[in-house]
Amino acid sequence: MAARFPNLRWWHIPAGLLGTAFVIFWILVLSGQKTWFSEQPPLQIIPDMDDQFRVDPQEASRFFSDRRSFRTPPEGTVPRSGRAYPFGPGDLALAEKAFPQPPFPESPYVLAFGQNRYDAFCSPCHGPDGKGNGPVVQRGFVPPPDLTRPEARAYSDARIFHVISAGQNVMPSYATKLTEAERWAIVFYVRQLQRQSALQQQAASLSTVPARQ
Amino acid sequence: MFTPDLDRRIKQGILSVAGTVLTAALVTYFGMHNRVTDVGYRPQQPVPFSHKLHVGELGIKCVYCHAGVERSPHSPVPTVSTCMGCHIVVKAESPRLALVREAYETGRPLEWRRVHKLPDYVHFNHARHIRAGIDCASCHGPVERMGVVSQVAPLSMGWCLDCHRNPEKHIIPAREISGIFTGLPAQAGEGTTVRIAESRPVTNPPYGLWQTSVPQQLIPGVPTPKAPGRGPETCSACHY
Ligand code: HEC
Ligand code: HEC
Ligand code: HEC
Ligand code: HEC
Ligand code: HEC
Ligand code: HEC
Repeated sequence: MAARFPNLRWWHIPAGLLGTAFVIFWILVLSGQKTWFSEQPPLQIIPDMDDQFRVDPQEASRFFSDRRSFRTPPEGTVPRSGRAYPFGPGDLALAEKAFPQPPFPESPYVLAFGQNRYDAFCSPCHGPDGKGNGPVVQRGFVPPPDLTRPEARAYSDARIFHVISAGQNVMPSYATKLTEAERWAIVFYVRQLQRQSALQQQAASLSTVPARQ
Repeated sequence: MFTPDLDRRIKQGILSVAGTVLTAALVTYFGMHNRVTDVGYRPQQPVPFSHKLHVGELGIKCVYCHAGVERSPHSPVPTVSTCMGCHIVVKAESPRLALVREAYETGRPLEWRRVHKLPDYVHFNHARHIRAGIDCASCHGPVERMGVVSQVAPLSMGWCLDCHRNPEKHIIPAREISGIFTGLPAQAGEGTTVRIAESRPVTNPPYGLWQTSVPQQLIPGVPTPKAPGRGPETCSACHY
């Protein structure tokens, strides 16, 4: 060894290994195989028209002093589509008069949609079966009442629609997140859950009746 | 011509200049790609909000907070009133949520740092992609396992086009945790499929002009999802 490479010193070997590792590291980074996490905003080498002087949704405004780009519309503005829910949490009687029945009939497709919306928006608190034991309740939220109990089965469709739209005590309102059609689909699905739980209770009470001798 | 000493120095000089220029060229050429400059951007947010806790552990679906992603081009980052829906009771005194409570009381929005940003001359539409049953994870990676959100995809033009040309290879179909409506009830068995959209070229031979048929809206307001067709490759689809 030493005879063939007379200039080789002991530290050349670790230095060479380190150098190779350094080069491989950079090749991996530059080819995108290795992600380099950084808190610095991405480097813009030629920022031609990347950031134009306009307001993107949810961007901070460079014009108004409170930096809100989403301005409060003036009094009496009419929305182009959809409508704001007109009633507060206490206006149940008005809501029942305004929405005597759902705007579209129940169908398997609407139920599938209602199930999807319920699982996303209600099950964190009410649980997937409506019994009020969702994951957030297990972490300390106020336990909501069972949606499938007999009193709730007697609620009108409009009442459930009203609770979703306006909220009730600590339950927040979902009028801004769910469209009217989505809320009605959820009402249909809650009805379905109530029917299922009624059937289960019936089956349970039947099985406790002693069998005929 | 030169003395051997000068000759050696000139050769060394040329070699080192060439080496430096080559390295600089390679680094700028490869280093300027989005996959190097943009991927891995992970800004510290003003509130230590964790997707790992809320989505991974609690199982809250993406659409609960990013509501409207199925309807609009933009996927909204939730307002503080969404957070307060739960945090008015859960961890109501936590010092980590002080900024959220302050924003809720004063009405001044909380300024989250933006992670994903396309240049302003590109138009990207979430609704169209979500309606085709493309999961968030195809483009945003496993957000439900991230404590702090970081950018996973390069968001470069090549990346968009790769998927538009070969959607089968890049699409992760809608998962339960995203809360995307696929047109089926949750416990539907194997073999039930969403209506597949016909996808056919508008020109022959196809120059990237694709047409996918859109299912009819049966009930106003209730969406009709479709299987993904092909994305467009014409410039005016994204740059207008
Ligand atoms: C943040 C947790 C939470 C979420 C999410 C939530 N709820 Fe509630 N809900 C509650 C609580 C708590 C109550 C009890 C309110 C009270 O004390 O009056 C309640 C009450 C109700 C009631 C009235 C029950 C009764 O007997 O008075 C209905 C109906 C209802 N929720 C339906 C829904 C539907 C439908 C959704 C999905 C759109 C939903 N909730 C989402 C927490 C929640
Ligand atoms: C409890 C509410 C909540 C849920 C559920 C939630 N998010 Fe978020 N998400 C936020 C908030 C708040 C931010 C902004 C702060 C941040 O970037 O961490 C955010 C930011 C993001 C961003 C980065 C936005 C940007 O600035 O570019 C992405 C991407 C994202 N979420 C995707 C998802 C996906 C995918 C899911 C489902 C797996 C999900 N989120 C579920 C609240 C939520
Ligand atoms: C559906 C209910 C729900 C929503 C909506 C929600 N959270 Fe939470 N959050 C929780 C629960 C439950 C915990 C966990 C409490 C525990 O650890 O026991 C939590 C914990 C936290 C914590 C940690 C608090 C601590 O002291 O450890 C932060 C920070 C937080 N959330 C921020 C947010 C922000 C910001 C938003 C709005 C984008 C939000 N959350 C929306 C339910 C929610
Ligand atoms: C086809 C790819 C793709 C899919 C699928 C996708 N996103 Fe995005 N997302 C993007 C791109 C690209 C941006 C940057 C948009 C911009 O800068 O205009 C983005 C931005 C965001 C933002 C930041 C706010 C904004 O709109 O600029 C959030 C939050 C977000 N996405 C959440 C989600 C959620 C939640 C889902 C799933 C329901 C999802 N995304 C599915 C590509 C995707
Ligand atoms: C994971 C795959 C995937 C990625 C990544 C992706 N797309 Fe798409 N995109 C699709 C598919 C599939 C369609 C066709 C949807 C359909 O069949 O309805 C589509 C459709 C589109 C359309 C057509 C909308 C219309 O109205 O005709 C536009 C515009 C578009 N994408 C823009 C983008 C941009 C910009 C990016 C990059 C930031 C991107 N896409 C990234 C899969 C993708
Ligand atoms: C699927 C959507 C899509 C289509 C189709 C598309 N582009 Fe792009 N284009 C993008 C995106 C996304 C970027 C931003 C890339 C980045 O952030 O570096 C971009 C960037 C560009 C840029 C700027 C590059 C730079 O770094 O300055 C040019 C020029 C451009 N596109 C031209 C075209 C032309 C010409 C066509 C038609 C052949 C086309 N694009 C079709 C999505 C698209």
